[in-house]
Amino acid sequence: MYEEPYRWVEAVGNRRQYLDEQFKQGSPVVALAYDKGILLVTVSKGTPKLYEIYDRLALGGMGHPTDLEKLRFSLLEMAHVEGFNRSPSDVTGSRLVKYGIAPVIKQAFEEVYKAPFIVRILVAELGQKPEKDALLTINYDGTFEETTGCAVLAATSAAETKMTAYLKEHTSAALSLEQALDLALRAWAIGSLAHQQDESDQRAETQSSVSGAGASEAAVLGPDVLREHVRSLAGGRMLECAVLEREAPGTSKYRSLKLTDLSGMLPKALQSVVAN
Amino acid sequence: MGMQGDFLQLLKEQGYTLSTPAMVGTGHAVTNATTILAFKYRDGVLVAGDRRATAGNMVMYDRTDKVLEIDRHSVMAIAGVPATAYEMVRVLEHSFKYYRRTQLQELSFDGKLRAISKLLKDNVPAALAGTGAVVPVFAGYDLEQGSAKIYFYDILGAEFEGVEYAVSGSGSPTIRGILHYLNTWGDQPLNQLPQEQAMVEALRLLASAAEFDSATGGVNREASLYPVIKLITGAGVQTIPDMTLKPLYESQVVRYV
Repeated sequence: MYEEPYRWVEAVGNRRQYLDEQFKQGSPVVALAYDKGILLVTVSKGTPKLYEIYDRLALGGMGHPTDLEKLRFSLLEMAHVEGFNRSPSDVTGSRLVKYGIAPVIKQAFEEVYKAPFIVRILVAELGQKPEKDALLTINYDGTFEETTGCAVLAATSAAETKMTAYLKEHTSAALSLEQALDLALRAWAIGSLAHQQDESDQRAETQSSVSGAGASEAAVLGPDVLREHVRSLAGGRMLECAVLEREAPGTSKYRSLKLTDLSGMLPKALQSVVAN
Repeated sequence: MGMQGDFLQLLKEQGYTLSTPAMVGTGHAVTNATTILAFKYRDGVLVAGDRRATAGNMVMYDRTDKVLEIDRHSVMAIAGVPATAYEMVRVLEHSFKYYRRTQLQELSFDGKLRAISKLLKDNVPAALAGTGAVVPVFAGYDLEQGSAKIYFYDILGAEFEGVEYAVSGSGSPTIRGILHYLNTWGDQPLNQLPQEQAMVEALRLLASAAEFDSATGGVNREASLYPVIKLITGAGVQTIPDMTLKPLYESQVVRYV
């Protein structure tokens, strides 16, 4: 019955609704450039969400762990075969995304008889020079965007917009790693709160009760409120941070920050997150 | 397949072969004109090699690097056909990275040794035909056990542990005896030598090899050409710059008669 064009459009629409639903519980991912490289931050529930792909490439993801694994493996395969057959400098995030996994994700999304990939993906690429850094995000339907400076993944596009706006407003040319970490975590809190906000708004609508006060709250949240939100959520979960460092020795620039590394870097309000 | 994290297997599925099997009966005498050596010293393991590449009587190149870094904690020194050897190092380098990134853990030291054996085994036809024989020495720091290790191989892929030292190449018979003598009757065993003394001994050993083997390059001071020396400790691989070797060579290796 999907052969009819209208049915197909309807099926794809349903699929969008279904997928949007799947990301509701997801934790946002933040990528942010700092003076010596790129930082990636998320708070995960157990399965890691940040990975090394190649010498200068890192991956962050949201969604179903198995789907993320599948795509992670195809990225790893493509990157390593290309790096071996040509050279490591020919392995670029933009090629892997545009000609590698984005078409695969789009095809799976549109083949309405089959299961789509329940993922949103962020690929961070450390350039030879800072101006060559690239951040790519891919949505579950295969659309991708390339930016510089900062990029995020979140449950809804509204939350993503809020996070990006916050990052752009507070970032400066030369953030230190500590400053970048603090800012990225605050942006993470914006994303996480925006999503909670959406949910409570919806609940309010369905109950047709009046709760007008909450709507504009997110815009005026101070840094301390945001840090408090991270602290309250990160306690039972895992704070995950990784960096691509331009000056790192050797060819592999990816480094996952361990709890011991983080304890010295986090703002005071968040020290307790890594203490236990 | 992907679950094994085996990069060589991935390459093979795409039609890659390490060496093309040569026709029977084209065998040449196996030559491996060079000198490489590795021995354990106080802090880890030292690996050194001369820099000459030859084709018969001809010196082809005097800046070859035969001591190649595979990852942060392991090094392969090569004697034999350079084309095959470099290719093997490239495969190994990518294999170890691919394993780490897919499996989210480092390949164990024993796993690395097996990977080299497997490559050498795949290369047997070319080795026997005389077009691709490689006789490597592999040295590294086993982080799990906290100790330095040295292994050497024959062209068929058999692996042997060099407890204190290992040598390979045409100049190696000369220095093998010296290493045995130094280790047994020297002022102190090799594995007690401090870093600087270990470097001096490596320079002296390579100078001795060059004295008796035309295929081993010595030091060319006019061109500021010194052997390649790498040190592997728990902190990783460290390449010793010529600036450090020059004064050591001039003060402790050269004898003005």
